[in-house]
Parts: sequence; C-alpha cells; structure tokens
Amino acid sequence: MASAAPVITDISYTDLLEDPYPIFKRVRDTAPAVFVAAANLTLVTRFDDIMSIERDPATYSSDNPASLVNKVMGPTFMRKDGAAHAAGRKAIEPSFRPGTIKEHWAPKFTGICERLIGSLREAGEADLFSALAAPMASLSLMEMIGFKAMPWETLAEWSQSLIDGAGNYSRDAEIERKAMEAGAGIDAAIEAMLDHHRANPNPSILSSMVHADPPMPIEEMRANIKVIIGGGLNEPRDAILTLTLGLLENHAQKESVLAKPELWPTAFEEAIRWISPIGMYPRRVTRPADLAGVALPEGVQIGLCVGAANRDDRRFIEPDRFDVFRPKQSHLAFGAGAHFCAGTWVSRQTVGRIVVPMLFERLANLRLREDAPPVIRGWVFRGPVSLPVRWDA
Amino acid sequence: MPTIIFVAADGTTHEVTAVADQSVMEVALGAGVPGIVAECNGAAACATCHCYFDRAYVDCIGEAGEHENEMLDFTASERTADSRLSCQVRIVAAMEGMTVRVPSAQ
Ligand code: FES
Repeated sequence: MASAAPVITDISYTDLLEDPYPIFKRVRDTAPAVFVAAANLTLVTRFDDIMSIERDPATYSSDNPASLVNKVMGPTFMRKDGAAHAAGRKAIEPSFRPGTIKEHWAPKFTGICERLIGSLREAGEADLFSALAAPMASLSLMEMIGFKAMPWETLAEWSQSLIDGAGNYSRDAEIERKAMEAGAGIDAAIEAMLDHHRANPNPSILSSMVHADPPMPIEEMRANIKVIIGGGLNEPRDAILTLTLGLLENHAQKESVLAKPELWPTAFEEAIRWISPIGMYPRRVTRPADLAGVALPEGVQIGLCVGAANRDDRRFIEPDRFDVFRPKQSHLAFGAGAHFCAGTWVSRQTVGRIVVPMLFERLANLRLREDAPPVIRGWVFRGPVSLPVRWDA
Repeated sequence: MPTIIFVAADGTTHEVTAVADQSVMEVALGAGVPGIVAECNGAAACATCHCYFDRAYVDCIGEAGEHENEMLDFTASERTADSRLSCQVRIVAAMEGMTVRVPSAQ
C-alpha cells in the first residue's frame, strides 16, 4: 500500500535560496516525494524517480492551465504535452541543429566573446557575472532569436522580469506589472523583425518559426519567444560562472583541463551536474499515482528537483564535490523526456568550448579574490550571482 | 513480434521479443538492456540512445532524417556507417533476428 507523502514544515524559503543541498538531501533520505511547506510543493529529489516520471507524461503532465508561466507568457510549448508540444518544438528545431550551431552560431558567439574579454583585459579585475557571463548570454541569445541589436541589459531585464513573474506565487502586483511590461517589450521587438525574417530566411529562431510548416501562429510565437528569453539567458550565464568557479576552486583539476583541452566537455557536464542552473521544474499529477510507494493524488503539483537528483548519492560518489574525473554518468541538468532542453548543444558549444576556455586562455593567472568571495543563490534557478576575480593584466 | 538481439558493450547478449511500432530504444529500455540512456526519451535531442545496426536489415531500418543525421555527429562513442539513434528506428516484423550493438559510452 502506498502511503501519503511526508510533510516538512521546519524549513524557511530563505534556507532554500541560500543552500538547498542539505535540504535536498534530507528530502531525498526521507521519501520519494515530500511536501515541503516553504516551497508549497511536493518535491521529488531522487534520480531514478525523476527519470521514471519523465517517461510517463500521461500521468505527470507538463500541461497546467492554471500555471503562472501561461499567465505571464501565454500558450507556451513548455506547458504542453504530446503532439502540441512536439509541433512547437519542431518549428524551432532548425535553429538548434548541431550543424547550424557549429557553422553558424559558434563563429558568431566566438566573436562576441572575443570582444567582451578583449574589453576587460586591461582592468586586471572584474565581477565575471556582469562583465562577462550576463552580457555574453544576452548578446548571444539576441542573435539567436533574431532581434535587432539592443543593449544587453534590456534582454537581461526582460528575462529576469519574466522569471520573477512566473514564480510570483504571492501575486505581488509590482512583480506582475514588470512581467507584463517586459512581455509588451518583447512583443514589440518581435513585431519589428517579423517582415525581415519572412523575406530573408536564416538560422534565427524567429525565421524558423515564420518558415515552419505550418508557420507558427503569432500568439504562440510571442509566448514561445518569452519562454526562450526567460529560460535561455540565465542558464548559459550561470553555467559559465559555475564552470569557472569549479575550476578556480580546484587548482589541480584546472591545471589538468588546461593541459588537456579535450577535457573541456567533461568539465562542462560536471559543472552543471554540480550546480544545475535549473534546479527544479513543475509537473501536475493527472491521475492517482504511486511513486515508488508514495501515493500522489490527482491534481497535486510536484516539483522535480533535478538539482537534487544530480547530487543523489545513490548514483554519484561524493556528489557534493566538483570532480571532473568522476566516472561518467549522465545527469539531469538538461531535464529528461520530451522537454529535454532544446538549447543543450548550443550551451555545450558556447559555454564548454568557447567562453570558459577563452577566459582561461586570455586572462593570465585568473584567480578568486580572498577579500570578495563568490555568492551563489537560488534553488529553482541556481548559480553564482557574483564572481569577483583578478588576473595579471 | 520479431526477436531482436541486443549486444551490450561488455559482449553479453539480450534476446528480446519486440512489439511492432515501438522504437528500438523503447524495446531496449523495457527489457533492461544496459548502455542505453535515452535522456530525451525519444525526442532525437540527446544522442544518448546511439546504437550500431545490422546493415543486412537496412531496408527495414531506413535512413536517418536530417536532424538525426546531424545529431549523430555528437555521439559519445564513435559514429560509424551503422550508427543510428535507436529512438528513431521503429520495429517492424521483418526485423526478426536483427542484431543491435550498444556502444560503450553514451
Ligand atoms: S532518446 Fe534522445 S536522441 Fe534518442
């Protein structure tokens, strides 16, 4: 007989934001699914359980009519299942093909990265969050979507406002206003470029959407571009910083990777396993389910904590350690199932082969600052929010 | 209901009775064949269901589509002329006795 999910009430939301890993471990050791009051969600934290949930979209649906994401962004393919999801995904696929990434995006992103690193080289110190990772992610995404050039801060602000709006469970009016304002800005930016992309087919996402067969309806374009902006900016940004941090904190591993550049892809995968940029995403239980002995009633919202699963000690040895040399095991940082991150190969290429290698190559003796330690935050999204460094200018 | 013979990286064989219309990836996972990860569960997005197929059966295996073809350039184990993403290959009756080799890394 399956039993009801245990309940944890003695955790505060701040604890989750600051360091979710001890909490994730406690939940993982308690039961396959645990209701955590501070999150107002039933959390699933074990690797195998998340994998099995992702293989059963009929029971664990992404479709959620009441979702805040839909309210803030419109009808997005993130919150659809089956054919409806697949159609949206297929429409953007051409922009994300490995060949397109190699031939078209990689040279463009290399150029952006060269300019950014070139402009800060003389300074000898910087916070890599605002000096490199955030502008890099923003400018690349702008190119990929097919927007007119704009200050990197604009897209970054839109992204943050949308994320805040999608997580606005307290229904704060100011957060909602900013999210709606960002949405209107994005709609206008799309409108400004549509005719251009219609007339000039190219690898950008907007072009893929208007030239899809059948073309994506405008309201879906608007919603899906918002999802891509909400999700496509912070993940590469956070992965750049996490990989850099992992190497800077582990001198011997850094030396090995720099000596053997073929280790970069492994180092990248280890970084996003260690601190997964997307730590949690939701699913809705569509019918009474038994998750490894825990009864989940119909309609309950569950949070799949991939950030926790990626530190599941049933699967990873000493999971809290950043270790480029751990035995190869797949992780869940890109999710699993039909919603597996469409940006996987772009981020592998951009973060693991372009940006972080170039950073270590061009900024000699790159090091952390003892007087200004890095700050890492978040549990739904997690990453360094400040990474001050010095180098020999 | 063709029988498919999976050969794992360590050389062990797994004879599985497959159900038509399933993908080869689904058949392998259902039978617990080791070495197939299938992170994207069939969306042709992860390249972790890579397998080597028996060329004698090429007529029923078919050809890789454009997207799959590009994805195959990113497999963890070497891509060969026999490489396919097993999630993109559907079971048909004529696959009776077909061998599918699972690579050592995904
Ligand atoms: S299961 Fe992901 S590509 Fe086949």
